[in-house]
Amino acid sequence: MKKILTGSLLALLLLITTACGNQSSAEGGEIFEYGGQKNTDPKIMGQIVKLLVEDQTIHEVNITEDIPASPQVMGAIDRGEFDFATLYSGEVYNNHFDEDQVTYSTDPEKTLNQAQALFGEKYDMKWYDSIGFSNQYSIAIKRDFAEENNVETMSDLGDYANDLTLGTDNSWIERANDGYEGYQDTYGYSFGDARGMDVALMYEGIASGDLDVVTAYTVDPQIVEYDLKILEDDQKFFPPYDASLVARNEVIDEYPEIAEILDSIVGMITTEEMTELMYEVDIKKRSIEEVAREFLEEKGLL
Amino acid sequence: MELITDYIAFWQDKYDSILTYTYEHLVISFVVILLSIIVTVPLAIYMTKMKNEKIKNLIFNIANVFQTIPTVALLAIMIPLLGIGFIPSITALFLYALLPLLRNTYTGIKSIDPSIVEAAKGMGFSTFGRLFKIELPAALPYVMSGIRVTTVYIISWTTLAALIGGGGLGDLVLAGIGYNDKHMIFTGTILAIVIALILDLIFGKFEKKFSKA
Repeated sequence: MKKILTGSLLALLLLITTACGNQSSAEGGEIFEYGGQKNTDPKIMGQIVKLLVEDQTIHEVNITEDIPASPQVMGAIDRGEFDFATLYSGEVYNNHFDEDQVTYSTDPEKTLNQAQALFGEKYDMKWYDSIGFSNQYSIAIKRDFAEENNVETMSDLGDYANDLTLGTDNSWIERANDGYEGYQDTYGYSFGDARGMDVALMYEGIASGDLDVVTAYTVDPQIVEYDLKILEDDQKFFPPYDASLVARNEVIDEYPEIAEILDSIVGMITTEEMTELMYEVDIKKRSIEEVAREFLEEKGLL
Repeated sequence: MELITDYIAFWQDKYDSILTYTYEHLVISFVVILLSIIVTVPLAIYMTKMKNEKIKNLIFNIANVFQTIPTVALLAIMIPLLGIGFIPSITALFLYALLPLLRNTYTGIKSIDPSIVEAAKGMGFSTFGRLFKIELPAALPYVMSGIRVTTVYIISWTTLAALIGGGGLGDLVLAGIGYNDKHMIFTGTILAIVIALILDLIFGKFEKKFSKA
């Protein structure tokens, strides 16, 4: 009896250790790593990459979610911990490079070109052309307030700003080029009060009436949920944050079938489509995998 | 060397807002520490006198439950009730501070040698006289160390105020994470540590003074 017990324990141990040591996929391919930030759109992109790769090749993709922000994702790519990620062109202006290397511009093409060249070289990765959606800062107010007071553009808001409370994420107030200070300079007005907070709680705040204005990101589904109106950036103040996939050069050089799939994702999803997908996930609480699969099937890609 | 000059330049550029964040952090922490001491220490003393084990357990369990609610969830529940900014920050931190302070104070007072209490009884002290002349002075070092530990917790927890518009050093850290500014992350962290250490030192001095007396 004792022998059987020891034997089966040993067998179990062996099983566990071999399972841990297994670094290849079920079909004998590689297991790639995708790293996603805290927001929902990179998580959806991760599932799309995973579904396409696993459908079309023998490889697998493992997704790690809720990395605090893009700089931490880049650090992990640099260390070879992640192979793919979704990054945003405007990130190029966020203290990554010296002022003589990068020229600030709100033009989408100039921004993307700089991101591709500078980040591509710094982290030895390929920065693809835009997926088609943009997740950038914008100013949003309640729709009924906008209609009552006929506010269409960010300039229009100036007449009321003194009595309004702004809610924003923690970094906007401190940002150099595209932050609150720059906004005040460009539009020539400031808000009665401006507070940094968690983005999810920011929307709770405008829903409960504690906030009047928020710095929404253009793909946020809460804009639809709480019936907010995004104001037109008539002075072209906010830089573009066009989403692109990135991949380590080492990976796409060695696996052309992967490079082909990533190429096919360029231009796949518009900002409106991404907002809808995020609405399904964030508001209707459906699983990311299910939503991504449905989207790909609708497009006939799966 | 460039690192240091860069950092000095950062301070010259930002000292205004860094001081504001530090000030906010101090105000929030102090209000929470004061509030929780005022509420918890008498409650803990009262609980050591309580005969009913069930009510005692109930109080501990309630304090325990607050401790297990995830921060963001607790803050989200609070927005419709208390809005945004200072008040909900204080409330959330107060609820989190309840358990460690309650437990530390309670165990502190409980750990007084029962023979001292018996001796006081024998000498004819009334219940209140015993409490104020004998038990509290004997328990003070324990109570102080409970407060000391909780204070350090609160200083670091106060960073969560940044999630709900209450400001504080958490704002600086989170801004740094979002904006890829290591100086901001570093400064926010270091200042929180320094505040915690200084307070710990001050409370340590108090503790020594009281335990001698």
